[in-house]
Amino acid sequence: MSHELEQLRDAALAEVAAAADEQTLEAARVRYLGRAGSISAWSDRMKSLSKEERPVVGKLLNEARTSVSAAITEAAERLRAAKEARELANIDISLPGTASELGSLHPLTQMLDRAISIFRRMGFALAEGPDVETEWHCFDALNTAPDHPARNEQDTFYLPDGRLLRTHTSTVQIRTMEKAPPPIRVIAPGAAYRRDEVDATHSTQFHQIEGLYVDEKVSIADLKGTLEFFLHELFGADAQVRFRPHYFPFTEPSFEIDVKSKALKGGEKWLEMCGCGMVHPAVFEQVNSARGDNAYDPEKWSGFAFGLGMDRLAMILFGIPDLRYFAANDLRFLKQFA
Amino acid sequence: MKFSVSWLQEFVELPSSVDELAELLTMAGVEIEKIEKRGANFDNVVVAKIVASAQHPNADRLSVCQVDAGSGQQRQIVCGAKNYKVGDKVPLALPGAVLANDLKIRPSKLRGVESQGMLCSPSELGLSEDSDGLLILSPEAKIGEPIGSLFPEDTILDVEITPNRGDLLSHFGLAREVSALVGAPLRGVREIGRFGETSLPNGVTISAPDECPFYSARRIENIKVGPSPDWLRARLESVGLRSINNIVDITNFVMLELGQPLHAFDADKLSGGINVRLANAGEEFLALDGKTYSLGQKDLVIADETRAVGIAGVMGGEDTGVTDSTKTLLLESAFFDPASVRRTARRLNLPSDASYRFERRVDPGLVLAASNRAAELMREISGANPAAEIATAGALPASPPDVSLRYEHCSEVIGVPVPSQRVEEILRGFGLEKASGNGTESLWRIPSHRFDLQRDVDLIEEVVRVFGIGNVPVRDRSRFTPTSEADKSHDLQMFMRKSLLARGYSEIRTSKLISRSALSFDPQAVQLRNPLSEDHVALRSTLMPGLIAVLERNILEGAERVNIFELSKIFVPPNADERHRLGILVWRASTQASGGIANSEELFLDLKETLASLLHQPSETKPSERRLTFRRAVHSDLVLAAHIFWDNAFVGHIGQLHSGHARRLETDTPICIAEIDFEPS
Repeated sequence: MSHELEQLRDAALAEVAAAADEQTLEAARVRYLGRAGSISAWSDRMKSLSKEERPVVGKLLNEARTSVSAAITEAAERLRAAKEARELANIDISLPGTASELGSLHPLTQMLDRAISIFRRMGFALAEGPDVETEWHCFDALNTAPDHPARNEQDTFYLPDGRLLRTHTSTVQIRTMEKAPPPIRVIAPGAAYRRDEVDATHSTQFHQIEGLYVDEKVSIADLKGTLEFFLHELFGADAQVRFRPHYFPFTEPSFEIDVKSKALKGGEKWLEMCGCGMVHPAVFEQVNSARGDNAYDPEKWSGFAFGLGMDRLAMILFGIPDLRYFAANDLRFLKQFA
Repeated sequence: MKFSVSWLQEFVELPSSVDELAELLTMAGVEIEKIEKRGANFDNVVVAKIVASAQHPNADRLSVCQVDAGSGQQRQIVCGAKNYKVGDKVPLALPGAVLANDLKIRPSKLRGVESQGMLCSPSELGLSEDSDGLLILSPEAKIGEPIGSLFPEDTILDVEITPNRGDLLSHFGLAREVSALVGAPLRGVREIGRFGETSLPNGVTISAPDECPFYSARRIENIKVGPSPDWLRARLESVGLRSINNIVDITNFVMLELGQPLHAFDADKLSGGINVRLANAGEEFLALDGKTYSLGQKDLVIADETRAVGIAGVMGGEDTGVTDSTKTLLLESAFFDPASVRRTARRLNLPSDASYRFERRVDPGLVLAASNRAAELMREISGANPAAEIATAGALPASPPDVSLRYEHCSEVIGVPVPSQRVEEILRGFGLEKASGNGTESLWRIPSHRFDLQRDVDLIEEVVRVFGIGNVPVRDRSRFTPTSEADKSHDLQMFMRKSLLARGYSEIRTSKLISRSALSFDPQAVQLRNPLSEDHVALRSTLMPGLIAVLERNILEGAERVNIFELSKIFVPPNADERHRLGILVWRASTQASGGIANSEELFLDLKETLASLLHQPSETKPSERRLTFRRAVHSDLVLAAHIFWDNAFVGHIGQLHSGHARRLETDTPICIAEIDFEPS
């Protein structure tokens, strides 16, 4: 009798294994495990068995039911996978990809965010100042002579009340030092304005990140360390960085920084990236007179400052040939940055 | 400014290669922007004399010239230029010559007439950009001589001089800088200081001593105005100036050599002595450029007894300038106040080589030397007879005050110890003299041409320039820094941007300066006093004009759906108070193409839901207790308009752009816009 049951189980397993489609498999399941199935029928036959036979056959019956049932589940899974593969085999995977409607961050925002996150890792906090500024914050406080050409109406936008649109974000250096005593470690992203005719590389409105670091015994070595690190983070460790003496009224000594990197378009040449320098003591003196104290005593505190042109940096990093793309906001352009 | 390398070489031994020189100067803060090879060292280009010229039989614009190139036999050349006369000497490119633009010269026929070579313009010889006519050589040029002997090879440097270094605006000045940087001796100008400087009592007076601290005038008689010798012309043309005549050329030459602008008046056209005074209000002045300028009481003029004869430091007068018939000169060399010259040159929009230098302050130490140098050159070149005396008025500005430097401070600023001996060596190289001092601190006397050296940091910069910024180590100054208010604001803005991004909105960035004709322009918006163009006249008081302009552009470009936002500053009238604001715009080209959501209600509700999700941000402690409500309102640009309240506080508006605006954008589907103020809190 046990032998008979084992034969039935083996036949069932063989049939399940051989099933080539879901209908055959379902037919096999009904035939063996269905209410009227041949394995199910053994449950009724149990009653007619002897007391001795009953546990032996009962155990066998359970095992048969379990193993056939598991085989059916497994076979069903196999058949489903095969069917799916058959159906999907016809799809042409060489077709171009399609995308759902994606939003995108403006490339300038992406550039700013990248630069900001590097400086934040270095321990700089953000600072802010207004776009509409006083002449004092934009020029006098930054050691710019009263007759300096930059103040001219030909170069700077003025409001009817005599205020102006800041020509650089260096104004935030002054705003920051007016509010808080040293030490200072800030960066200030923001817009600045110059009365330039718009062309591929000029715009009336542009974006900068200003940086200011004031502490005891800050030196050119600190300036170099900070900005070299930043530029290597941005352009890669392979980029070459050089500092070149320059002139700005509000820093002394002053430098411009050039970067050369094969990874960049036009990167075989030195590309100018940043103006920087040691904060001019006359700037500290102006801040002190505005504060009415001697918090920024040039004998005790020193610092460095820098200004990075974000539009130009984005053009170089993203390989954008014309500044006017940023202001045009053509969605076909913007979505390339999604 | 353009510099000739061979000219610089007259004053100092230069590094062996031009690239090395360029690197040296660039890394010392004097940036070389361009290096250009110049010269006329061509084979088969010789001096030729035009002996006859006739009209080409078949071409109105061509002539047929007979020229003598020294071979004993005349050559026939077809020529298109008009600026020569028979008897002139000109460069002739013989067959076999290859010119600056790689043009190969062969015997040829032009419109049926044989031409055995070509007569050349300066540009064809690579001498200057001047391609307007033949290069007319001086009468002394020897026929048949190779052209290279008249125009030796040279290299021209285009140099960016920063505004603090007016002392570098001359060949002598730049050579002096090179001498300091490499430690090579500086050779002076031969003729400086040849003439006496005795004052003539009645020649010159100054009525405006603030604007003109010092003025000198020298009388030079028996001059013969004529073309300049070739060497002088070559010098001027190599750095981009045109030769005018020997007198004007000499004044320009001395300016380029020593940095002191000079002006030559025709003395016979002046009446009485020179007075340097401020102009009368509305005084009219006919300048050398042929234009009449109306002067004001802040403009400084050079005047004789009857009228103004020059705008000081800017431009001379038309009717007192040097002409071919001038016999006697009055040669001006002066020190004008930089601010005064800048003001006038700017106001009259009349920048000149002279004003450029006066604005950056000329070297008081060279004012008289330049006059002497020019007088000597005039004697040499035009056989003139310069007066030994020179009429002067006023006093040359004193040398800059002494500057004290602490050596320890110098090392602190640089970030690496620089030995005091090295510091002193560097400063002496720049012509500074140690007035007093000890091992820790010393006082330095500043030379007259370095007025930019005013305090210790200026001296430290000189040390860094020679010491080399490349030799300064890098140091890591990172520190822990607490979050600022600006950090929080930035983080909130980035959160909003990213939320909108995830909802399929693209960020735009538009100009904060807008046009008066922009759609939805607010007439109250604060306007600029001096706008540059109609497109940028006012500070936007709302983000709507930018959003609408970007929509318009994208509709024109064929966009099907536009989901855009801008998160930026606006300026609230009347005081231009700055606020951060978020503007959002949604639009679909048509209901079918965009999946069937373009009716006003759906767009409105979509936008409303977007706003709600932004305002209920995760950092909110009890989001459920804050309420976003919308109340119907009236808005000049919107229909279906509503005011938006956040906890009963007005934060902005939402609505559909009215159809009049929409029609201007050439769309008939609804445009939904919302704009909200947000301040981080």
